[in-house]
Amino acid sequence: MRRTPVAVLAVSLATLLPPHPVQGQAGTQQQPPSTAGLVVKGKAPVSNAVLAVKLPHPQEATLANGLRVMVLEDHRLPRISFQLMMPGAGGYYDPAAKVGLSGVTAQMMREGTATRSSQQISQALETMSANLNVGSGASGTTATMSGGALTENFAPLFDLAADILLNPSFPGDEWDRLKTRTRAGLVQQRTQPQFLAQERFSKVVFGDHPGSRVSATPESLDAITRDAMVECHRTRFVPDHALIAFAGDISLAAARTLVESKLGAWKKAGVAKPAVTEPAAAGTAKGYLIARPGSVQTTFVVGAQSMTRTDPEYVPLTVANRVLGGTMGRLFRHLREEKGYTYGVGSFFSALEHRGQWSASTSVRTEVTEAALNDLLADVEAMRTAPVPEKELNDAKRAIVAGFALSLESPEQLLGYYVQSWLYGLPADYWDSYPALISGVTAAQAQAAASKYWDPSRLQIVAVGDAKITDTMKKRGALELYDAEGKMTP
Amino acid sequence: MAASVRRLVAASPMLLVATLTLGNGFGTATPVAQTAIREVKFSDAKLKNGLRVIISEDHAAPVFAIAVNYNVGSRDERKGRTGFAHLFEHMMFKGSENVGPGEHPYLIFSNGGSMNGTTNKDRTLYFEILPANQLDLALFLEADRMRSLEITGPNLDNQRQAVQEERRLGVDNQPYGKTFEVRDELAYENFAYEHSVIGSMADLSAATVDDVASFFKTYYAPNNAVLSIVGDVDSKVTLEKVRRYFEALPSQPAPAAVDMTEPAQAEERRTTIEDGLARLTRLDMVYKIPPSSSPDADALQVLGTVLSSGRSSRFYETIVRQKELSPSVNAFPGESRGPGLFTVIGIVTPGKAVADLEAAIDAEVERVKNGPIEPWEMEKARNNARSQLVNNLGSALGRAITMGQDALFYDQPGRLNTTAARIAKVTPEDVQRVARQYLVKTGRTVVITVPKPAPAKGGL
Repeated sequence: MRRTPVAVLAVSLATLLPPHPVQGQAGTQQQPPSTAGLVVKGKAPVSNAVLAVKLPHPQEATLANGLRVMVLEDHRLPRISFQLMMPGAGGYYDPAAKVGLSGVTAQMMREGTATRSSQQISQALETMSANLNVGSGASGTTATMSGGALTENFAPLFDLAADILLNPSFPGDEWDRLKTRTRAGLVQQRTQPQFLAQERFSKVVFGDHPGSRVSATPESLDAITRDAMVECHRTRFVPDHALIAFAGDISLAAARTLVESKLGAWKKAGVAKPAVTEPAAAGTAKGYLIARPGSVQTTFVVGAQSMTRTDPEYVPLTVANRVLGGTMGRLFRHLREEKGYTYGVGSFFSALEHRGQWSASTSVRTEVTEAALNDLLADVEAMRTAPVPEKELNDAKRAIVAGFALSLESPEQLLGYYVQSWLYGLPADYWDSYPALISGVTAAQAQAAASKYWDPSRLQIVAVGDAKITDTMKKRGALELYDAEGKMTP
Repeated sequence: MAASVRRLVAASPMLLVATLTLGNGFGTATPVAQTAIREVKFSDAKLKNGLRVIISEDHAAPVFAIAVNYNVGSRDERKGRTGFAHLFEHMMFKGSENVGPGEHPYLIFSNGGSMNGTTNKDRTLYFEILPANQLDLALFLEADRMRSLEITGPNLDNQRQAVQEERRLGVDNQPYGKTFEVRDELAYENFAYEHSVIGSMADLSAATVDDVASFFKTYYAPNNAVLSIVGDVDSKVTLEKVRRYFEALPSQPAPAAVDMTEPAQAEERRTTIEDGLARLTRLDMVYKIPPSSSPDADALQVLGTVLSSGRSSRFYETIVRQKELSPSVNAFPGESRGPGLFTVIGIVTPGKAVADLEAAIDAEVERVKNGPIEPWEMEKARNNARSQLVNNLGSALGRAITMGQDALFYDQPGRLNTTAARIAKVTPEDVQRVARQYLVKTGRTVVITVPKPAPAKGGL
């Protein structure tokens, strides 16, 4: 295999990152309080250079119907993938009584077209081992159609994709079947403590804002009709502000020809660019307990609203979050490696067109519920009250920057960066400057972001577990109780 | 759980990552010329101490992956020490002579890499993927723990707790969590495969520091492992480095071979269990099949594809779509060095009967045995195999793991180069023959998991 067209320079980024210091046995003393889970002997040979990767840029064009075409050409392997992003078609814009409408509309699109049955579509796709999915999340703003095939099969795959996009027939019998399968899934997901916790947490953090939606419900499924899906498809799955992005063994010219020939009938609807509103600030921080009979663990989700993707504090919070709840971060070292409370713990955040959410989550055995929650909250608070020591901060930044080299293996992953830029309106050179942005974060900036977003007065605490932890949870103040159906109980 | 995987990774969902999707072949109209898929080249060496070293250069991206497959899994455990191979895997991250507890993962992640370890019945696997300039780091870390693992009481207690939480998370707090254990205990008579990888709470509590030390000496010897490296490396330089880091490690007497003999099963085994966390009934059926090294393994693979791969499969079309007896039914032959299982799992749709689901599955199995298999179904299986290969070519880590494991299981590190051709040789008659031979009621075990009626309001 020939070398990638991607230019790769192995240089020491002295200007971006201080060299990785070799640390002796005593090095642990400059670590934060929760370091019993990690001892750095500093004897392993680490290359101080960070591979500075020059990311390839996609080529782009805009078609007459408003559709943006993006191509990341890469001929290393004989395969092509695509994703079509349709703003306004996501579950965010579903009517409140029909949560999940765009999701089932998307699923129904591959259940039959004017000329193909559900079976014929499945057989055609799977015989050539191609892949095609249409999906729309309950709270996201866009619906997505994505697919891929070996180069030799990409034209027939795209033909099928165009038919599904333009001519879905929404057959009534297939809709009845999808409803049956979906209902079984709605029952199944309530057995998962992580689902129950996230469902309540999203509700608490976002209130009635569409960002709170996690799934269709039995009631919303009953309210959705075939007519509603037809209308949703006709008015919201439109090209006006959409993007189709290709990665792999294809040029912009070829992609453009393919799109123009197969999607020529996809007409501009003349709709305005869909807007989002910010969620209202969440209420006073409280505790929430979902009683799950038979639970042998307590599952926690603790957190608050975060920020938009273009907020300048996104970068410092990314670094702070990596220190706290990233891989081998403080929470992991403390709650798992030192205390043995849990198998896994971490913190995560989303930053969207509207404010997203930040949370730390873990599952611990019932007996250590109180101690684990106290330790978790103490680690969050330590990020606010003390600056991250220099080495720990540099390690976290280096982890993010050096990790870019790994993404060069996958054109799909690289394309994902640019799709993100398109979705959130990031500057064209955003990913080129991202390593410098991350490297430039100071301990003071990370601390300031932590102080603001992780203020204890904002942190909602959701627990799923045995009802016997009720008194433990009440020690922290006001507590609302729910059952596993998500209904409030006295 | 057939395999228990450590999840150290808790990265923030920073990026929208497109699903890696692949296609292959052409099924319905005129055949399209198949793109030639390049062969994976590699070197295969054995150090003086018996360590097998596979190296495959690929300069497509500035990364490399390293996998160490140790020839030990839960099948090597003895009674009273179940869960030990996996507990030991956790200990491999708790420090060695020159690497502190937790330092190994910390160094990998803080240098932009990723890593993990995983244990199943047949092997224990450790792997890292890193930027190309960190080859020495990876080799040093793997060699240091192969040579000088530090085994202390506090570290053992700590990881015992982590594993017990892993068991709670994955088994005791999950619907159908215990179904796998009940199924294997009933299906197998030989202890090697009869017990679960995660092990029992009591056995985990009983493990001692001496147990860990002797396990390390016996199984974590260089002659009991395969080291595979794939990516942006120079083969010659890399082999020299491997010699420098690993060749001085002493070999050990080979561990005693595990007796994998499984008595022939003469009649169907069946049980029903209650599950307090489940809400829908589930049907699990496993049929005894030969080890994956058997000449029948490829036909069994195609059989799994015909029955349950995707929405064009027979199970989906008839049982899920037409009869609506289940929201999903899966069927697949598990990869296994010893006597294997062909597994069928289906959830029962609310309001439907498990007996009807079982009858519908049986009817489809009989239809494969006695009726025609369509040309497109064979083509789908062939294209899936090609597709899987191209997938593997896009991932250095995928190849490092596959090549190391194939060296260990089949003594064929380059087996991935022949898979598509082997699958292409399977005929419809082969598929019918293996279905008739192995998917028989006298050779199967059936476990039905039913939801336990809810206890008093509010839980226990």
